[in-house]
Amino acid sequence: MATTATATGTAGKRRFDVNQISSGSNAAINVFFWIYSAFCVLPLLLVIAVSLSDEKSVLIGGYKLWPEQFSLGAYDFLLNDYAAILKSYGVSIFVTVVGTVIALAIMAMYAYPISRKDFKHHGLFSFLVFFTILFNAGLVPFYITYKQGLGLYNSMFALMLPFFVQGFFVIVLRTFFSNSIPTALMESAKIDGAGEFRVFWQIVMPLSLPVLASVGLLCTLNYWNDWFLSLLFIREDGPMSIQFRMYRTLLDIQFLSSNTQAYSAIMKANPNFTIPGETARMAMAVVGIGPIIFVYPFLQRYFIQGLTVGAVKG
Amino acid sequence: MEQVAQAAPGARRSGKRGKVKTLNQGYWRRYWVFYAMMAPGLLVMLVNNYIPMLGTTIAFKNIRLASRSFFTDFWNSPWVGWDNFRYLFTTSDAWLITRNTVAYNAVFIVLNLIIGVAFALMFHNMRNRLAAKVHQTLMFLPYFLSMVIVAYLVYGFLHPDIGIMNRVVLPLFGAEPRMWYQDTTWWPLILPLVNTWKSIGYYAIFYLAAIIGIDQEYYEAAHIDGASKWKQVWSITVPLIRPIIIILTLLQIGRIFYADFGLFFQVTQNSGALYDKTLIIDTYVYQGFLVTGNIGMSAAAGIYQAVVGFVLVFLSNLFVRRISKDDALF
Amino acid sequence: MLKKSSKFSKSFVLIVALLMALVVVLSACGSKNNESGASGSTTPSASSKEPAASSAAPSDSGGDSAASKLPEYNLTIFFPGAPPKDETLVEAEINKYLKDKINATVDIRMIDWGQWDNKMNLAIASRDPMDIIFTASWNGHATNVAKGAFLPLNDPNGKYGNLLEKDGKDILSSLPDTFLQGAKINGLNYGVPANKELAEQGGILYRTDIADELGLTDQINNAKTIEDLGPILQVVKEKKPDIIPLFFRDGENFNSHYFAKYDYLGDNTIEGVVMKDGTDTTVKARIDMPVYKRTLEVTRDYFLKGYINKDAATTQLGVADALKKGNVFMVPSPLKPGKDTEMAAPAGLEGKLKQVAMNIPTTSTGETSGSMLGISTTSGDPERAMMFINLLHSDKYLNNLINFGIEGKHFTLNGEQMTPTAEAGNYAIGAAWMLGNQFLNYLAAGEPADKWEQFKKFNDSTHNSPALGFTFNPEPVSSQVAVMANIRKQYDPGLDTGSIDPSKAEEFFNKLKQNGLDGVIKEKQDQLNKFLGK
Repeated sequence: MATTATATGTAGKRRFDVNQISSGSNAAINVFFWIYSAFCVLPLLLVIAVSLSDEKSVLIGGYKLWPEQFSLGAYDFLLNDYAAILKSYGVSIFVTVVGTVIALAIMAMYAYPISRKDFKHHGLFSFLVFFTILFNAGLVPFYITYKQGLGLYNSMFALMLPFFVQGFFVIVLRTFFSNSIPTALMESAKIDGAGEFRVFWQIVMPLSLPVLASVGLLCTLNYWNDWFLSLLFIREDGPMSIQFRMYRTLLDIQFLSSNTQAYSAIMKANPNFTIPGETARMAMAVVGIGPIIFVYPFLQRYFIQGLTVGAVKG
Repeated sequence: MEQVAQAAPGARRSGKRGKVKTLNQGYWRRYWVFYAMMAPGLLVMLVNNYIPMLGTTIAFKNIRLASRSFFTDFWNSPWVGWDNFRYLFTTSDAWLITRNTVAYNAVFIVLNLIIGVAFALMFHNMRNRLAAKVHQTLMFLPYFLSMVIVAYLVYGFLHPDIGIMNRVVLPLFGAEPRMWYQDTTWWPLILPLVNTWKSIGYYAIFYLAAIIGIDQEYYEAAHIDGASKWKQVWSITVPLIRPIIIILTLLQIGRIFYADFGLFFQVTQNSGALYDKTLIIDTYVYQGFLVTGNIGMSAAAGIYQAVVGFVLVFLSNLFVRRISKDDALF
Repeated sequence: MLKKSSKFSKSFVLIVALLMALVVVLSACGSKNNESGASGSTTPSASSKEPAASSAAPSDSGGDSAASKLPEYNLTIFFPGAPPKDETLVEAEINKYLKDKINATVDIRMIDWGQWDNKMNLAIASRDPMDIIFTASWNGHATNVAKGAFLPLNDPNGKYGNLLEKDGKDILSSLPDTFLQGAKINGLNYGVPANKELAEQGGILYRTDIADELGLTDQINNAKTIEDLGPILQVVKEKKPDIIPLFFRDGENFNSHYFAKYDYLGDNTIEGVVMKDGTDTTVKARIDMPVYKRTLEVTRDYFLKGYINKDAATTQLGVADALKKGNVFMVPSPLKPGKDTEMAAPAGLEGKLKQVAMNIPTTSTGETSGSMLGISTTSGDPERAMMFINLLHSDKYLNNLINFGIEGKHFTLNGEQMTPTAEAGNYAIGAAWMLGNQFLNYLAAGEPADKWEQFKKFNDSTHNSPALGFTFNPEPVSSQVAVMANIRKQYDPGLDTGSIDPSKAEEFFNKLKQNGLDGVIKEKQDQLNKFLGK
């Protein structure tokens, strides 16, 4: 019976497949997901709604999906310094894109050898990377290694390097490499005289697009969402990520609410001290999310089914 | 799928159990590429993880800052043995924070597994591919929101006066408004709910990638044999993604003593009244650090968490080895 | 199959190679900047402005002629706050002025409040080179001194000798003795206190417009105790259901240190107090002080009656923001002369806020060491740092420059009165209370001409806490302190705001006892006795 390798990349309905699930189950699944997706989208809409509301009405009436009173005040306040925000966007995009590509390359190159059981030291190097998951190297030694050891301060490289190798992803890649690539393929390539790197590059990688896309997506999110590295290594007037620029004020609020002593002291001395209100915080969240929302649709195309099928047959 | 050692000039074919004996020359010619490929990764790990690890010896010292160089100060500071660990164990809350941390993480692991696989299966089997794509995208949206914003949203729901629950939902059922942030009852439900909602995308995506890699032939054959869709799932899909399930679970077990700081500190508004059910090791250490500024004590906590995680993973790994050797972590 | 992958691989390789090259270039750029970052000294602005500064004739020095003999030095100054837009402009002006005075330039490093603790702890632990750092008893001063982060400023046997006497003469002559006495740790000073209000008084602020409407004004102005407030709040609740009669939050309530007058002997988060308005020097847990239970019961009563906002224990809203909301009638507040006008302006309530004191002005170590400038042990030139601090306490031009910006650009001056210009927002750091001698400050809009006289009178009328001058060093009991910090967070907000029943206080303090309270109190007492010479 002819097999039809179907691709999830194609839009629209799947071609009629005898082996589909029943329409009953399909309906149930669809209903479930529409509800669940609503739960995912509504909070985001709420954030946007509050960011477009008038501050006082939120303080008194709480969060409402449809604002009692519209106001662009929050964005007005935020985008006052639009030059800095644009710069931060640039920093974030650059760090994310470049960082993810390099990280993927480094991690894939590490994961492949350790996925090969015939490689003598695969156990040792597996353990080396696994151990880094267990152990959070302390903040101070990490900071000193970077600042005084490597001289990495106030540079975008300091924002990228920490995420280049993440044990979790390496182990996952390793698992995919050892389980999803049929040995027959690699054997035939070797017989054709290909060296190990060529096998990796031309056979294993193309067949691993789904997992590479997954890891790539999560790497992207890690980079984009990070604000801590900017806090550690970037001067107040330096290249800080957009998340950090938005997050700074939220950190202030958090600090003041958890450290009541400091708050009293500041209030005592400087009543002019104000912290941005609810609407401004939500506006910050909106600005911080930015283009990242489009990453998944972009990477969707790599979730291709049946990559290995044709390869073995053909 | 087994990996069989490749024949190489000068090497003997290996069996599954025996060591591969090679003439050195043949081995290096073959495998030098692997070392070269791993080199960048090793370098990065050295810088990011292993060199700083040396510094965790801070945990055993009482750091005195007298000179301009950290190394000099480190060198000259006195050893204090286990002193910095005491605050983790001598508190009457020691059991509480351990229990909370482990219990919540265990629940998270189970939820991530069940719901993650379930979602992946459902995505894979949905008939309308466009709808599947849309839902996959939307599932990630919560992940984009930082925990701080999620905390505000939760506060928007659970605020005693103007929260949506107390103002809108509960009155619908004729129930009394509650002091959500003073009452511990609901938090063992709220926290897993928020955590799963936010991070399920993370796990579902890996399971989905694994499911996609399964050869359609298996399903066709099973279908011909008359197997129902449900049976196909249990006999084909789940067993074939077992390796990734095991690995993801083992990795999470390794981190079982660490938790998402944002979830337990910010979403709970760090409300002391909830501590019985929400205080975990990380937030406990943080509060202490705020007051004492003692980096030795924070480092001690880090070591404690790492050691326990390691022991647990080691034991779990042994257990997995018993069942299926290939799937073990190491 | 292989054909497809070779197309894939070619472009991919190209991209990765390009990116790696870019990264290398970038990290090189980064390291150029990092030279300045790591040492924290030269900023591009400072170095590019140098030529302009030096073009001023060297003989044009109204001040120290010895300045030219000193080698040039760049001072890094760290204090908390949101970095202002015009920071580099003001820095340039300061540098111009300082060149002749002490041949130094400054690099002002303002760090956002939310990151202050993180960044400073890290910088101190990593021994980053720094010169002047803001510090306060409520911001870990004692711990940092114990760690060795700050230089002793008046140790004749110290490495740099008695810096205060050598380079801080103006400080010694202008700063009331109480400040320096009060901020000592183990007999030495590790920070120069700011010269500001010395006394602290607790009380409430209330909305005069609402009070007038309900005819409560006289009653409020005559209120002396928290019990007196009950009937007033009741009227407000009945007549104005939309208004929150009394706004509380964690740290701002009747049980706050400024209201109940607890002297925590340093860090307010470590249990064990004496009373500021008394004379007894026995350190006790708060629950053993009569005012504690009384306060909790009244607060709980008010909470149950609905006078206090329901989210008091968890709200992140500050008192100032609560007032801004417009639906709050009364708030507790630390008071000083003119506090009401000061709070009214940013809340948009000009003329509608009035203060009522509810206890006597007192002075404790918290007031004397609530705002200081310390010199880091990693400083490259502590003497220059002291000279700069000295100028902040004596040089009117410099003090106002660093606090309010450039005259003509950020404000216009009429005698002593400042009027903000359109660009005032570009340099409004609100840090006058951290930087030197506040009595040198120009007056802001709305402040009375005799503001500083009023302050002096206020300071003179104070009652000194029996523990004034003593700061507790928590190091010997740091384990217990860390443990207790968590327990306190569990109960204090709820108890202090009336959200949970006062009977829980027993449970609270029992738990503290179980976790080392007695040991901590004994340590406090021992240290205090030693200080008092008993």
